[in-house]
Formats: sequence, C-alpha cells, structure tokens
Amino acid sequence: MTKSTRLVQNLILLVFALYALVPVYLVFLAAIRSEADLFSGPLTLSWPINFANFGRIWSEAGFATYFMNSVITAVSVTVLVVLTAPLAGFAFAKMNFRGREVLFGLFLAGLVVPAPSVIVALYGNLQAIGLIDNRIGVILPQAALLMPFSVFMMRTVMQDVPDELIEAAVMDGAGLFKIYLTIVVPVVKPGLMSLGLITFLFAWQEYLLPLVVFQTESLKPLTVGAASLQGRYGVDYGGIAAAGLIAFAPLVVLFLAMQRSFVRGLTAGAVK
Amino acid sequence: MLTTRSAYLFLAPSLALYVLFVGLPILQVFGFSFFDWDNGIAGDFIGLANYGRLLADGVFWTALWHNAIWVVLTLAFPLLAGLVIAAILAERNASVVRWLGAIYFIPRTIPLVVAGIIWGWIYNPIFGLLNFGLEAVGLGGLAGAWLAQDNTALLSLNVVGAWTFFGFCVIIYLAAIQSIDPSLYEAASIDGASWWRKFRDLTVPLLRGSTLFLGLYAAIEAMRFFDLVWVTTQGGPGYATEVLTTHIYKTFFLVGDFGYAATLSVVLLIIVLSISAGAFALLRKP
Repeated sequence: MTKSTRLVQNLILLVFALYALVPVYLVFLAAIRSEADLFSGPLTLSWPINFANFGRIWSEAGFATYFMNSVITAVSVTVLVVLTAPLAGFAFAKMNFRGREVLFGLFLAGLVVPAPSVIVALYGNLQAIGLIDNRIGVILPQAALLMPFSVFMMRTVMQDVPDELIEAAVMDGAGLFKIYLTIVVPVVKPGLMSLGLITFLFAWQEYLLPLVVFQTESLKPLTVGAASLQGRYGVDYGGIAAAGLIAFAPLVVLFLAMQRSFVRGLTAGAVK
Repeated sequence: MLTTRSAYLFLAPSLALYVLFVGLPILQVFGFSFFDWDNGIAGDFIGLANYGRLLADGVFWTALWHNAIWVVLTLAFPLLAGLVIAAILAERNASVVRWLGAIYFIPRTIPLVVAGIIWGWIYNPIFGLLNFGLEAVGLGGLAGAWLAQDNTALLSLNVVGAWTFFGFCVIIYLAAIQSIDPSLYEAASIDGASWWRKFRDLTVPLLRGSTLFLGLYAAIEAMRFFDLVWVTTQGGPGYATEVLTTHIYKTFFLVGDFGYAATLSVVLLIIVLSISAGAFALLRKP
C-alpha cells in the first residue's frame, strides 16, 4: 500500500470517528458545566466536574422515577422475549411440523411491520382491555413487536446445535422440553445472551409505545421524559444534557462492556 | 429433524404474543380503512372512499416523497461509508478494529429521542456548533437555521439518521469481509493489484449479500422511522419534514380521523411488504 493511500485511509477513519463522537462529547460537556459558562469558554473539559445538573434533574425533574421505569420496562420485555423466542427458534430450526413454512413466513413478514402502522388499532385494543396507562400495555406489545427479529435470530442460533446431541437424548427417552432445557440451552447460552442484550437495547430506546400508552407521569420512561423536558425546561440546557446522558449512558456502558456479544447477535440476524 | 406435534407448544407463547399484539391489529387496521369514523366510533361502510382521499391529500404525497428521499440518501451515504470503512479496517490489527468498531457503533446505542435533542443543539441557529464552526473557517455565509428552513430541514435530519446507522453498516460489512477467503486478496496482491482495485473487483462484488441485507434494512427503516422527526420538527416547518409515520400519528391522535389513519397505515404496510418481497427475490438470485 502506498503512503498516500494509507494517509487517505487514516483520514477517513478519523473523520468518521469524530462524526460519531463529537455530538456525544458535546452533550457530556454541557451536562457537567454550570449554567454560567455553558456557552462560553473553550470546548475542553472543565475541572472540577460540576454534578449540579445531574442532581437537579435526578431529584427535581423526576429522572429517578423515569430511570426506574426504563429499567422495569426494558427488563420485563427482555425476560419475556428471552423466555419465549428461543422456544420458537428451536421449533423452527429442529422440528418438522405441518404449517412450518407458513408460520415462519408469518414471523418473517413481521420483521418489517412499522409500529406506527399498528398503533391505530392497538391503541383501541389496549383501551378495551384496560391496559392504557398500565405497564403491561407497553411490555406485551413491545415484546410482540420484537418477536419476529428474535425468533429469526434464534432460529439461526439453534441451527448450529448438532443434531446428534438432540437425537441421542431422544434415544434415551428424554422429553423434548427437558432436552431443550438440559441440552440445547447450555449450548446456545452465548446466543441467548446476545438476544437479551439487543432486546434490552431496543426496549430501552422505545419511544412511541410509552408515549401513547402512559398518561401518568410516574409511569413514563427516560425517552418520554427526556423529550418532554425540551418543552418544560426550554432553556435549561445543562439539565437537558444531563437528562440525555442519563438516558443513554447505561446503553453505551453496556455495549462497551459486552461488545463481542452484541456484535455476535447483530451479525447472526444478518448474515445467514 | 424431529417430526412432532409438540412443536406447536414451543411456538405457542411467541406466536400468541405476536398474533394478539401485531397480527390482529394489522387485520383490524385493514378493516378500519373501509369505514367512515366519527369520534372513534365506526359508522358506515364506505368501501374504498378513504383510499380515494389519498389522491387529493397533498400532505400524503409530500410525506411519501420525503420517505423516498430518505431511502435514497440512506442507501447512498451510510452504506457506502460503512463499506469503505470496513474495507479499510479489514487490514488493520484487531485492537484498532475493536476500538474503532465500538466508536462508530456508539451513536446506534443512543435513543433517537436523545439523538434528536443533541443534534437539535448542534443545528441551533443561535448557539449551535455547526454555525459556529462554519464562521470559524470563514464560511459564515452558509450558516442557517438548519432545522427551521424548508430547504435544509430534511437533509439535516438525515445526517442525524446516518449518524446512528453507519456504524451498524461497518459491523455488518466487517463480519462479512472477515469471512472472505484471505487467499483471494493474497493472489490479487501478488498480481500487483492496488488497494482500490481489490476494493472494486473483490470486496464490493463479494459483499453483495450484505449490501442487499443492509439495503433492505435501510429502506425499511427509512419508511418507518418516527422518533427522530417527532422530537425535532414534528414534520415541520410546514410539511418540510413530514413523513408517512408522522402523518399517521397526526391523523390519528390529533385529528382523530381513525378511518383515514388506518388507510395510511395500510398503505405504509403495503409499501414495506413490497420492498421486502422485492429484496428477498433479489437475495434468492445467485
């Protein structure tokens, strides 16, 4: 490779690294600055770090509650998906049954369904069964909307389980559910981990469902809280920045800590 | 392969959730679209009258046009960037790949609501970093109210969309490049092929499958994105950033026209399903 090619390549890598990071850095900077020097002063970190914005947002603006709500919803959705989708993935990957192709096609079509296009009917249904302004009314539809991707990914993961393992257990007379729990699950644990992480990420980021389902302030998650803050706290930029940081920092940390598992999940859904 | 009816028991939980909260609403939306609605109560069966309204609804066509622009921009910019970056990274050592891969992907982990807020500040005409930077390099004449002007609002939002998406493209392309037989590149190097030659004649054709996948993904997301527009411009100024999903949302929650909102939803569903059917046909072809 010539020197100039290498230089151009490094430049490309750098420009895109800045594109990715500068906005994140800016919000971090705004969150730890005091109101007075928010828009003055250089774009370097000031010392000591000022946590006043976080304190104000956390206690006064209700972000402690929003945060807990995000945790509750995202964890519930994740548990629900991880308990159900792998069972379906196992059936599609390793079992022969009538209607297999049709049912799988049904899930496949769901991969592209836009949430806003079902909301018109979903909203009325949730109202009819009393789930508007109720956590369950977000958790169940959210898990359902993530189901096609999850089942699709789990089918891919389950296909890698050696048939001999399962056949040997069947010979021994073990029931299918027992085989699933004692033989399949241990083998696909990394895949389940990836599924859990990705589901958690998507559930935490969800905005539309909680926006339309929750009316009570004490039920709303971080995404809805942060968006409404823009209206309520119009000029408290330090506060809004701190709120934004609270809304995404857990995801960034989780991703950096579990990068390998995330990437495995993202590519498992894609490549095959 | 086990032939067994227990398969249905394994499918039951996810299928039940999916049918109740996705499948059923889709059928209902389809049904809703044939009725005249008043205050959330179904009135007369009016056949295709709601669909006839589409023709005269200028906002619908504007929104559709914006979605189409968004599809093209997303296919052009983040996909290409992802491909080039992945091809460069493929020849770098593992720790560089790991670090840069993580950095590029970080925006994807940020909820679009928050991304919209952050970039709203960058684009702010009074204190935004973009105008500040342009003035600093002597291009102050280009400065503007990026999200508040008809001619820049959609494009400015697309830069935010690309920001959250290109890292995903890098990761998908990188995984695919790493599964290409390295001897192909070695052979090309021995023949004296330049980096660009190898990129054009080996990498790009061999990654066709990933390009189709990402293309499909990008096109679907471009048709169904909502959060980013809703928290920044709500479709404005005027209708400058109106897209199908915001048009549905407003028609349903603000106007309360259930029948027409359902009709728009059906149109959106038909579009995304057609796009994916087309892409699958392409994927099947060797």
